[in-house]
Amino acid sequence: MNMNNPDTASTRGPARLKPAGDMAILVEFGQTYDPVVNHAVLGFDAALVGNLPAGVIETVPSFRSVLVRFDPLELAYERLHEFLQQRLEATAWYSAVPPETGKNWVLPVVYGGDEGPHLAEVADLCGLREDQVADQHAARELTVAMLGFAPGLAYLGQLPEIWQIARRAEITPTVPAGAVLVAVRQTVLPATPIPTGWHQIGRTPFRGFDPAAARPFLLSPGDRVRFEPTDAATAAGFEPGAAWREAKR
Amino acid sequence: MSGLAILEISPGATIQDQGRTGWLRYGVTSSGAMDGHALAEGQALLGNTDDDAALEFAMRGGKFRAIKGLWIATSGAEMALSVNGGAVAWRRSLRLEPGDLIEVGAARRGVYGYLHVAGGFQTEMVLGSRATHWRAEIGHRPEAGQILPTAPQITGHRPMHLPEPGYFGAREIRFLRGPQTDLFDDQVLAEFLGAELRVGAARDRMGMRLTSASGPVQTKVGRTIASDSINPGDIQITGDGTPVVLLADRGSAGGYPRIGTIASADLPALVQIAAGEAFRLRQVTREAAVDALSDYRKDLNGLRDKVEPVVRDPHDIADLLAYNLIGGVLRGDEDERD
Repeated sequence: MNMNNPDTASTRGPARLKPAGDMAILVEFGQTYDPVVNHAVLGFDAALVGNLPAGVIETVPSFRSVLVRFDPLELAYERLHEFLQQRLEATAWYSAVPPETGKNWVLPVVYGGDEGPHLAEVADLCGLREDQVADQHAARELTVAMLGFAPGLAYLGQLPEIWQIARRAEITPTVPAGAVLVAVRQTVLPATPIPTGWHQIGRTPFRGFDPAAARPFLLSPGDRVRFEPTDAATAAGFEPGAAWREAKR
Repeated sequence: MSGLAILEISPGATIQDQGRTGWLRYGVTSSGAMDGHALAEGQALLGNTDDDAALEFAMRGGKFRAIKGLWIATSGAEMALSVNGGAVAWRRSLRLEPGDLIEVGAARRGVYGYLHVAGGFQTEMVLGSRATHWRAEIGHRPEAGQILPTAPQITGHRPMHLPEPGYFGAREIRFLRGPQTDLFDDQVLAEFLGAELRVGAARDRMGMRLTSASGPVQTKVGRTIASDSINPGDIQITGDGTPVVLLADRGSAGGYPRIGTIASADLPALVQIAAGEAFRLRQVTREAAVDALSDYRKDLNGLRDKVEPVVRDPHDIADLLAYNLIGGVLRGDEDERD
């Protein structure tokens, strides 16, 4: 198994429970990013939320695991372990249909130019013409596999095989909120400025994080996202968190 | 308005409480006081609630002026403290009169020092906490020229103090294996656990970069794995083999392999180790780490019983008759000028 490459066929074994420090249990469904594994993760997490024993602090779904943080002085490790083991065995999570809570989003993107300084480099790495990059990137409906690293930052999977490109050798000290970043068949959408080694091919006026809003985070794992190429003038007219972006399926 | 005016403030100063929980799934790590024990000391000294917000300093403090009468307390790394130019002992509560100037200087021992006010600082609450998360642009960022709002002062305070806790200058920190420890050869892990680890200058609320006397740490699998959630205290090994302990303001997920994690009870001791100092890790079982956490919590819960009125040493007092032997007891008017 090549763990350098998050895209190689992963081990879809039975999920395993592992202690992670003294205040968490990691429910590990796989070692790599695989949409099937992620699907199981999101289904399992959704079933846990609202049905957890007292003493659990929070659950955190990722590409390949659910982290269950708890207070071991309030809830014994053994009891939580047994509870999670029973939940794992109760359902075939790899084939379970997760609850249809995911939303559908259409997000406008200005590709290339100042908003996508690495577009030419990505075209070269993918073997595409520059004008094909935006079309290809916007053609496929993507799924929010996880949020993490920074507040509201979304990892979206999964682009076609030709997008299996490495991250850049150099770290860009800051990319802005809304940057559309690609590597390893994934798209990353930061909601705050971040340093990154990913390639920036565009930028969206959408902002998935507003700490002052009644709903501070707009995207959730399991949501589906389609990008729509647009021009700078049109993008400038969009409200960063407007509800219109939530498209009807 | 009551408050504390910031005249000067050192870089790295933040507002901290117990941090925010429930937002990890959206990529927001807890923040909160780096040294949770020190936070609890301040609350005990002032009779605050557990989650009241304090100013956290890294290595140095700043200069402040009380706008109105205000009870304050200090905790954490002992820093040079003066009120109107006169030296004041650390880890005690005291009354400031309107216009009093306080200076918090360099840390004498440890890294993170705290300045608490009675009732806590009343800065903006974001996602259920006042904790500053600098990189995430969440929470109030203290800067010179601001007035930090404070709660209305209640009466009944008196100067209290606490002894220095025992965890400063720690040379041994408890370590737990983690879900990714198997990505390292036994030999590599044994060398890492046996080695002296020196704290580098590159350290902040996000993490502490360490230098292992055994050299760069090699993984079996290469430099990155599929991103996964990170717990506070996790030790990631970056591409060049450098161990980095990830802390309160860490990213919530990362793709560098993690060799293990620090026992929760030892995080205050770890973060107070200054740059250039060295320590070793000692592997313990999960059960032992939970026992240590239980002892740590008992210690925290006992702080409110441990605070004692400041009894002035007659040798330090030039004119004994001018002082109350137990500060504050005979005066009843301190808070009425607010």
